[in-house]
Amino acid sequence: MEVTVKAHMPGLVARVVVNEGDKVTAGQEVAVINCMKTEIHVFVESDGVVKEILVKEWDEIEIGSPMIVLEA
Amino acid sequence: MIKKLLIANRGEIVPRVMRACQNFGIKTVAVYSDADKGMYYLKQADEAINIGPANPIKSYLNIEAIIDALKKSGADAVHPGYGFLSENAAFAEAVSASGAVWAGPPPGVLKAIDSKCYCRKIAADAGVPVVPGTVKTISDLDEIYKFTNQYGYPIVLKLDKGGGGKGIELVEDDDQVIGAFERLSRIGLLAFGHPECYIEKLIANPRHVEVQFVADSFGNCVCLGERECSIQRRYQKIIEESPSPVVRDQDRSALYDYTRKLSLAMGYEGAGTMEFLRSEDGAFYFMEVNARLQVEHPVTEFLTGVDIVKKQLTIASGIKLDISQEQVELKGHAIEARVYAEDPLSFTPSPGTINKLVFPKIDNSILRIDHAIEEGGSVPPYYDPLLAKVIAWGNDRLEAIRHLRNALIHFQIDGIKTTIPANLLILGSEKFADGNLSTGFIEELYAEVRENSLRPLWPCM
Repeated sequence: MEVTVKAHMPGLVARVVVNEGDKVTAGQEVAVINCMKTEIHVFVESDGVVKEILVKEWDEIEIGSPMIVLEA
Repeated sequence: MIKKLLIANRGEIVPRVMRACQNFGIKTVAVYSDADKGMYYLKQADEAINIGPANPIKSYLNIEAIIDALKKSGADAVHPGYGFLSENAAFAEAVSASGAVWAGPPPGVLKAIDSKCYCRKIAADAGVPVVPGTVKTISDLDEIYKFTNQYGYPIVLKLDKGGGGKGIELVEDDDQVIGAFERLSRIGLLAFGHPECYIEKLIANPRHVEVQFVADSFGNCVCLGERECSIQRRYQKIIEESPSPVVRDQDRSALYDYTRKLSLAMGYEGAGTMEFLRSEDGAFYFMEVNARLQVEHPVTEFLTGVDIVKKQLTIASGIKLDISQEQVELKGHAIEARVYAEDPLSFTPSPGTINKLVFPKIDNSILRIDHAIEEGGSVPPYYDPLLAKVIAWGNDRLEAIRHLRNALIHFQIDGIKTTIPANLLILGSEKFADGNLSTGFIEELYAEVRENSLRPLWPCM
């Protein structure tokens, strides 16, 4: 099953801390959003494998923007 | 005198600088990113030029784009504001190279302050006390152990080229050294491109006191009192006031003396601030130079009647300062609250749209609001969360606090969360009224509130 990790805050993508193919576990940090100069951490809610990374550093994102696709 | 000024910044500082220009009949050029095209002050500028996308790297931090705007506008000067490129020597040099006047400190000063360690050395050489620690950057862990063997813990590791509250690590024992050093190097490389750090002994419960000064190109340096900025969250200021409740007349004389010595040693020109830490035993230590106009400058303007932005413009135009130190009078008390677009309890950001905006009634003799917001306006997620600064004046400290609280209670911003309730909680606390401040104030106050299971009662708005 595919799960899409979405941004819960708007801003800029500060960094993505996983690579495609990485195994992740629920609660793991996968990306950081820079919102108003504050770093907001993005976590995954379920175990899985990173299938696709949809954003790159400095991309502008909104709440709900898809960031990462997991194969859960 | 400058004829046309480009303001290389965004937010509340733009209309502030424009106000000073009006006084001199200087034409203004505002710049904006795609995310800021709706800002109200753009309509008030004589010209407004788009400098690129929302991402600050491509707009407000983009030297090329701003220099292009400068050439296109025909402006003969640039005001850097604060943050962004305001302390960037390469930008200052690019402005000068294009033939325009840079209304900030000389590039040489900006290069010097780029390294906090180098500034510590200049200060120490000039006879100004610095926080005990190294005046050189450290390259390995052994140097840290060597220092702590001699001077003990706790210490603070700081990035030589950090800033904005980033790049500070507290280290309390040997076990924490490696983790802190590695974290700091990583952040330094990632956020600033420079991993070097240095050591300072921890000053426990310090108070943050800074001296505002203006220096012209004729060697005159005039100090405009101090500001106390101890109330911070995440090392970022939230409430500032002047005079500081702990600075006595003899302290002020010493701080003025340090400031003049340092300004002279650096060849400073323009408006600037020397930051000092005051330890619990009453000693002052130089911390860093802020080579720019500061967010909290209105506090000093209220107290002294000196318009600091106007002074920046005359100094940049090569005009001699028209005030002497003896003429500077510190009258009454002034206090500023920064209103941020943040959750007042967690201080997490809260961008969005302002649905409703009601300003308090403004009596110019006791209240001033500098802001960049309007009803229906958006607060973009890409920049600093500062929405407005509310500054109040009183005959004494308690009167100033009362005026500030009264203004904040009648300041209504709906649609986004703001720190107004946090400001009111702080200003209303007994400890604050007593002037018992420290940089850990907010943490302690919030812990107390949680411990007592008190739900802070926000005034009805």
